[in-house]
Amino acid sequence: MPNIVACFKWVIDEAYIRKGASGALDFSAVDYKISDYDRNAIEEAARLKGLHGGSVTVLTAGAPEAAKGVKDALSRGADQAFFASDPIFNQLESSQTAAILGEIIRSRIPYDLIICGEGSSDQYAQQVGPRLAEKLGIPCISYVQKLTIGEGGRVLAERRVEEGVEVVEAPLPVLVTVLPEINTPRIPGVKDTLMASKKPVVTIKKEELPAIGAARLQTLGMTATRMERNCEKFAATPEGIAGFVEALQKKGVIS
Amino acid sequence: MDFKLTEEQELIRKNMREFADKYVEPIAGEIDENSRHPAEVFKKLAEGDWMGIPIPAEYGGAGSDYLTHILAVEELSRSCASTGFTVSIHVGIACMLVLLNGTEEQKQQYLLPMAKGEKLGAFVLTEPGAGTDVMAATTTAVLDGDAYVLNGTKTFTSNGPTGDTYMVFAWTDKAAGRKGMSCFIIPRGTVGMSAGTHFKKMGLRSSQTSEMVFKDCRVPKANLLGKEGAGLVMAMAGFDHGRVGIAAQSIGIVQAALDESIRYSKERVQFGNPISKNQAISWMIADMATELSAARFLTYHAAWLKDQKVNFSKEAAMAKLFASEAAMRHTIKAVQIHGGYGYCKGAKVERLMRDAKITEIYEGTSEAQRMVISGNVLR
Repeated sequence: MPNIVACFKWVIDEAYIRKGASGALDFSAVDYKISDYDRNAIEEAARLKGLHGGSVTVLTAGAPEAAKGVKDALSRGADQAFFASDPIFNQLESSQTAAILGEIIRSRIPYDLIICGEGSSDQYAQQVGPRLAEKLGIPCISYVQKLTIGEGGRVLAERRVEEGVEVVEAPLPVLVTVLPEINTPRIPGVKDTLMASKKPVVTIKKEELPAIGAARLQTLGMTATRMERNCEKFAATPEGIAGFVEALQKKGVIS
Repeated sequence: MDFKLTEEQELIRKNMREFADKYVEPIAGEIDENSRHPAEVFKKLAEGDWMGIPIPAEYGGAGSDYLTHILAVEELSRSCASTGFTVSIHVGIACMLVLLNGTEEQKQQYLLPMAKGEKLGAFVLTEPGAGTDVMAATTTAVLDGDAYVLNGTKTFTSNGPTGDTYMVFAWTDKAAGRKGMSCFIIPRGTVGMSAGTHFKKMGLRSSQTSEMVFKDCRVPKANLLGKEGAGLVMAMAGFDHGRVGIAAQSIGIVQAALDESIRYSKERVQFGNPISKNQAISWMIADMATELSAARFLTYHAAWLKDQKVNFSKEAAMAKLFASEAAMRHTIKAVQIHGGYGYCKGAKVERLMRDAKITEIYEGTSEAQRMVISGNVLR
């Protein structure tokens, strides 16, 4: 019966981000959510527990406000949570997150399988999963769209790669990063949410962890994309296509 | 003062929003057009414990509070006012009546399956000649051996054609006046009780409404809810709960009208600018947002009072009065903002405007709410 760890990130729900007049992003009225693919990671952990038994532990590093996310994660079929909580933990870069999660898993959580989302909804750096596997010295399977735990403690994973599907096998313990195709995350029922508050949460403070290295990445700016319609129409004729190319050249889109 | 919802309430509200977006919003237009009860949605609502949020777990509910139920009704109504209402009357009136007045046996037999969402509840009070004037009802229940025999005709029964468990009011002693009406729990299929065909309504079309006819309908004594003669008091307490639900349904409607109006007014270009740049439009939206906030505070406050176990009769009436009238006012404005497009089938605001009207009528008209409120403040 596998001990499964699902990692998640509590991110800004992009539906609430507004675009200011100058194109700057307005975060003044945002709400938060579990990063989309991380919901798939938690769901996959819960699904496998349903099939094989064992336990599901959810794990995150975030600001203290992410406690709500911990409850949310616990309402999705997890048994317990580990929460590295510090006000500066919402500005971590991937290497720091992986170091924190790795330390917590190594020292506190027995595991056979670790599941991460392929990338987060906010940065989508796709770094935490592979880096975490490296820290723990276990194999990493990325881009997974189907996951099976077979006989003898091996996992079979379908990876979606550019030209098709690759099927790989690895012994436990292993880390996988999953794509949204792997499952449909549940919408927790009322009782699931109410019961989540009663499940055990281990909160770990920054001081209880080894010092994390300095951030190497710096965000210089963030602006919204702009879409402008010019309402120019071109027919699907040689003349129309030539006109289309000419218009793009004039705009400087192609040269 | 604390205006914050709990983390659980915020998560539950968000989960309901996701549920409604996924399962209700896509079919809301169709079930309105076809007057169809979406049984498939109610099955899913039952699976997620949405059909008995404030009912204790030992009676099949989620064991949460009334405010949480209200948040769910609001979010559901934001997608479909009919679906939101059906949950509201089922939980707020049918389930609450049994929870507050039922015996242990009645709770196990009737409340438990209702709160689990396996059975749908209905509230059967109004008659063709007895709307606001409940005392003008003529349906009687006469004790005959070990059973009451009911005769009479009820109308405008929500969940009439689709219900499973009916809370039926009838005179056991007409001469006793306000102390002469009693309430009976009657399961679907009881001989002598029949539901008419679903009425064709202006709005709230997927909520099933019909006549209920009782012809020598024998109801065992064990199905008397509460004491004989306590029916009217129980019905009024039921209304207090139900009205907060109608207020929640109304704020769901206003929120939807606001969502649609903001989206459309930013997209719709006239005279070279989005119409949201016109003061005439932006002020309509400002009023809509303001009254939505006011209605929401009244509604949550009424639900919160209920959860504090204090009298909330006046506050429920105020919330229902204000929220329902706001729903009517602002859905009219939302259609105005949408112009001709808003007048056509397929526009959500067209449905919202038709749905809004009933909120000023059922579970006590606006006039009846003013009677309750004035009765309280002039006391």
